[in-house]
Amino acid sequence: MALFDEQLGEVRRVLESMSAGGAARQFAAGARELWDKGSTLVLQEDTALEMGNPSVASLSLLLWSEDGGVEDGRITLVGPDVGEALKSGSLPFAQVVIVDGTFESEYDSYRDIRDAVYDTRLAGLSIRTMPSKRTLWCRVGRDAADKGLSLIDLGAALIDSVKRLEEVGSAEVVFVTSSAEDVRRLTSPAASAQRLVDAMMKMYQEQNFDCETCEYQDVCDTVMDLKKIRSKLTDSQD
Amino acid sequence: MENRLDYCEGGVNMILAVCGKGGVGKTTVSAIAAQALAEKNGLRALVVDADPAGGLGMALGLTPRRTLNDVRKEIIEEVKEGKRDKRDLSVSLDYLIAEALTERGNMAFLSIGRPEDEGCYCKVNVILKDTIEGLAGRFDATVIDAEAGIEQVNRKVISSVDYMLLVSDTSAKAVRVVETIKDVADRMIGNEGAGLVVNRVRDRAEIEGIQSGTALDVIGWVPEDDTIRRFDGEEKSFLELPDCPARAAIRGALVRAGLL
Repeated sequence: MALFDEQLGEVRRVLESMSAGGAARQFAAGARELWDKGSTLVLQEDTALEMGNPSVASLSLLLWSEDGGVEDGRITLVGPDVGEALKSGSLPFAQVVIVDGTFESEYDSYRDIRDAVYDTRLAGLSIRTMPSKRTLWCRVGRDAADKGLSLIDLGAALIDSVKRLEEVGSAEVVFVTSSAEDVRRLTSPAASAQRLVDAMMKMYQEQNFDCETCEYQDVCDTVMDLKKIRSKLTDSQD
Repeated sequence: MENRLDYCEGGVNMILAVCGKGGVGKTTVSAIAAQALAEKNGLRALVVDADPAGGLGMALGLTPRRTLNDVRKEIIEEVKEGKRDKRDLSVSLDYLIAEALTERGNMAFLSIGRPEDEGCYCKVNVILKDTIEGLAGRFDATVIDAEAGIEQVNRKVISSVDYMLLVSDTSAKAVRVVETIKDVADRMIGNEGAGLVVNRVRDRAEIEGIQSGTALDVIGWVPEDDTIRRFDGEEKSFLELPDCPARAAIRGALVRAGLL
């Protein structure tokens, strides 16, 4: 069992139900050349499309598995792509990055993968993330939209970034732009994954194992991998 | 004077700080400078109200939804909730600052806001310094309406400025303040140039008296102007300011400084 197995299962079930209606499309990351990297500030007047604006539904989620269950290089899109939504001007947006590999040091691995996601920047696309709220706010610039920037490009760049890490063997990305309701269906696994990450971060950063007073006692007591992390850290203190 | 917008490193990212004693008209000059830059096609301008006393937002007719002080408070709340990972906080800061920008066309406006107590001024100034350094590089031109006096220059809150627009009225006290600001700036921060704009001038004799009494480069003088008084009194946006003597004078000063 890996740290996020429960959340991954929930995400897969949600995606299956979305796919059942024929709403999901799948693409291969390797099919296109990687989009140019760049850090762009896109002002409102230059924006062709906004995704995950603070006033609409938005979600960013990172999960991993250790059982080889990730379809390497797959990009799943539920809802319209950039070029198909330009008239709307604004879309709800969820981005789920799922990696598979061997993560012996969970804390270090999580931070490395998270940083790789944060550091994925494409020319003509402005991306901002609010980790505590698990939201992601993107603006596609007009030039980039005219040149055909697509969520497949973003997915391919994310997969390329995370796979550069030694511990990552495979990676896939899911984007949901169909509706705010569909994005919100991922809120529950995202929130529970966040609690696991927060518990893990607290253990590693504070090195305080007074479980009686800890707000994460419930997750630590029930999630096997967190128990293992706690044991590993307390053993190293002895 | 060749255009500073052209010769600044990389051809972009000019930072202009508007400094002076309180009440001399810095905000008016900042607003008209912002208006002039906003009218340049293809140029992206960041306008920062770094004065806790505020006023530039009103002068531009822009009401920020949140300020840098609000951002500071939200980051503090995150830390209190146990979110202490530096990378996550840095990314959150980037997000919250983007939310704090009020945009109009090719201009983005950011306000420092008004901290509740003395101690908070220092803390929000630290965020302001980092924000200006990080954000200004993404714009072609940045106009900073600085806090009255020398504090922000002294504490290097405003650093690596390309040009200091020093604003004074005709009082000796106000001229002495900008001389001090220039002196501190030369010692404490980098700047490529500085020029003095004298505001609310009644006649040529006043400006000649000032020019003879200071070593500062007087790049312009602004007459008393009823249009400015009316716009101020009626809280109208200076982005809509029509041609008037004050506007022409300030724009002329910006041209002389190589900023337009």
